[in-house]
Amino acid sequence: MVSSFCWSCLTRLRSTPRAVLPPAVTAPRTALFHTSTARYAMPTKKSKSMEGPAKYRQAKSAKMKKKKPVDKVRPPPVGERKALRKRIVLSNPNALEVEGMQDISAETMVDARLRGSVLGLPVPMLTQLRAVEAFKPTQGWSIFRRPGTVVRRETLELGRLIDGISGDGQDKGKAVKKIVTGVRGSGKTVHLLQAMSMAFTKQWVVVTVPEPQDLVTAHTAYAPLSDETPHLYVQNHATAALLSRTVNANAQVLKDLKVSQEHPALKSAVKAGMTLEELARLGIQDPAIAWAVFQALWAELSATSAAPGFEKSFKPRPPMLVTVDGLSHWMKNSEYRTAEFEPIHSHDLVLVQHFLSLLKPGVGKSALPNGGLLLYSTSASNNPTIYSFEVALKQVTARNTGLSPSAAEFPQPDQYRGPDKRVLDVFDSPKPTNPKEGMLELQTLGGLTRDESRGFMEYFARSGLLREQINDEWVGEKWSLAGGGVIGELEKLGRRLRTIN
Amino acid sequence: MVFILGVNFPERNLVQKSLQSFFGIGGVSSSRLLARFHIHPTCKVGELANKQVLDLTAALSDMKIENDLRRQYLDDIKRLKETGTYRGRRHALGLPVRGQRTRTQIKTAVKLNRMERRL
Repeated sequence: MVSSFCWSCLTRLRSTPRAVLPPAVTAPRTALFHTSTARYAMPTKKSKSMEGPAKYRQAKSAKMKKKKPVDKVRPPPVGERKALRKRIVLSNPNALEVEGMQDISAETMVDARLRGSVLGLPVPMLTQLRAVEAFKPTQGWSIFRRPGTVVRRETLELGRLIDGISGDGQDKGKAVKKIVTGVRGSGKTVHLLQAMSMAFTKQWVVVTVPEPQDLVTAHTAYAPLSDETPHLYVQNHATAALLSRTVNANAQVLKDLKVSQEHPALKSAVKAGMTLEELARLGIQDPAIAWAVFQALWAELSATSAAPGFEKSFKPRPPMLVTVDGLSHWMKNSEYRTAEFEPIHSHDLVLVQHFLSLLKPGVGKSALPNGGLLLYSTSASNNPTIYSFEVALKQVTARNTGLSPSAAEFPQPDQYRGPDKRVLDVFDSPKPTNPKEGMLELQTLGGLTRDESRGFMEYFARSGLLREQINDEWVGEKWSLAGGGVIGELEKLGRRLRTIN
Repeated sequence: MVFILGVNFPERNLVQKSLQSFFGIGGVSSSRLLARFHIHPTCKVGELANKQVLDLTAALSDMKIENDLRRQYLDDIKRLKETGTYRGRRHALGLPVRGQRTRTQIKTAVKLNRMERRL
């Protein structure tokens, strides 16, 4: 800035002319061509505040205005807010219909040419998928015209597996057990959803536990199982809910199957010639016998032959898909308490125990005698950190590579970190003796490949959500931004709408 | 409406909250009571089985709560006064009992501490 002193005479110069200075901030900016009215106009009234001189004999303290009584509004009916929160929207009429999108079917689920494309979920199947709660409210189904999932490498493998188990080849009747892990947003839940959709196309029976957390947070009723086993607890309402999910989703299959075993626990309720659907409905109607009904249903579904006297109407049972989404909640103490106020371990809840016992090889026969798939996934977003579970998963991997548990390299828990022996025991399964039964595996989902990412992003573009030129360079950039093709991150990038003028 | 120990509770109330409305039952003892009869903490009064209500009532009637407990409190204060202890005197004078300063901030003691203490 120019100094205001004249260097030759050291006198003060006149102040800089107005025009050079930036306009005063305080003057109200109005029309530039005349300023007088704006200058002489009344100063704007200051907002009322505590500052400023007080008027004569006026209190200066903060006055608390009395609040007018708000007329009470009736709270919304019970369950309405939760229903709104948990609402699942599967369709968006504003999104464009993707032309030429194929549906999941017996042919498309094994077609390797479809890798990288998005397969729609058939509309009639949506009610079934809703019934087993395959969709989660946080997933972005509501931005597309209709729900669809991308076919990735793991999906094709899954398709072939399911096709093999229900086909007539050498894999027929095989029981495969997998724990699905992966980073956050890597598509574990959607992988389970794809498995369910394939299982429904193949007429399997699907049994799911969509929120394992709900069983251990002490939000549902519990009671000791019986006097003989005082340390085991049954959750009747949760069991009834499980039965109702199973029946609603699999009604078509269960209607065709008849009761083929003796059920001494349900002697009076079960009649000969009853379908399995009617059997399951008994438990839904009366939660007090829900656990016995569930056991009976399970015995029926895993029966390989009829008990004497029931042979006439016996039909071979279909394979089963069992999914649990978010396993680690089951690896710690539950919020329930015993009568002595000791915490109850999650493994002492019979429902949890039942699903975890399937991970072990069955005694005498396979855990799923008619074949099927166990898909238990971990969760990365709502996840308690459990040291023993982490070690147990490492042990599962080690056992699959052929390491014997006595080997030096076999991962062992650090005893000073208080490992939970019960958790380690659940995954500590010896090699199954039954040739039809697979060993427990750990499947880690990573990112999509670049080609699959491209197909996924094209789906966004074709739905009208993304206005970009989808080329390899652009996809490569997004692929890197998404941490190497993590599908949840790709979805965030895709739905962030940007318009080019 | 469900009667627990002669008190009528609306069905939408939490069992735990309802139990805590009794004088002498707080967070710990209500949780223990619930665990004893296998009632989960988010259970509503309406969801209780008949047997559980009877069990709760039986358990509550064995406990020293409500007027029995109040009477015990007052008896304790009276005993302190009659044996001539300092604490008893402080109760009677309406002053803090446990060594607090009395220069300021003794409104609560003035309000509550007396022979027939309000509970």
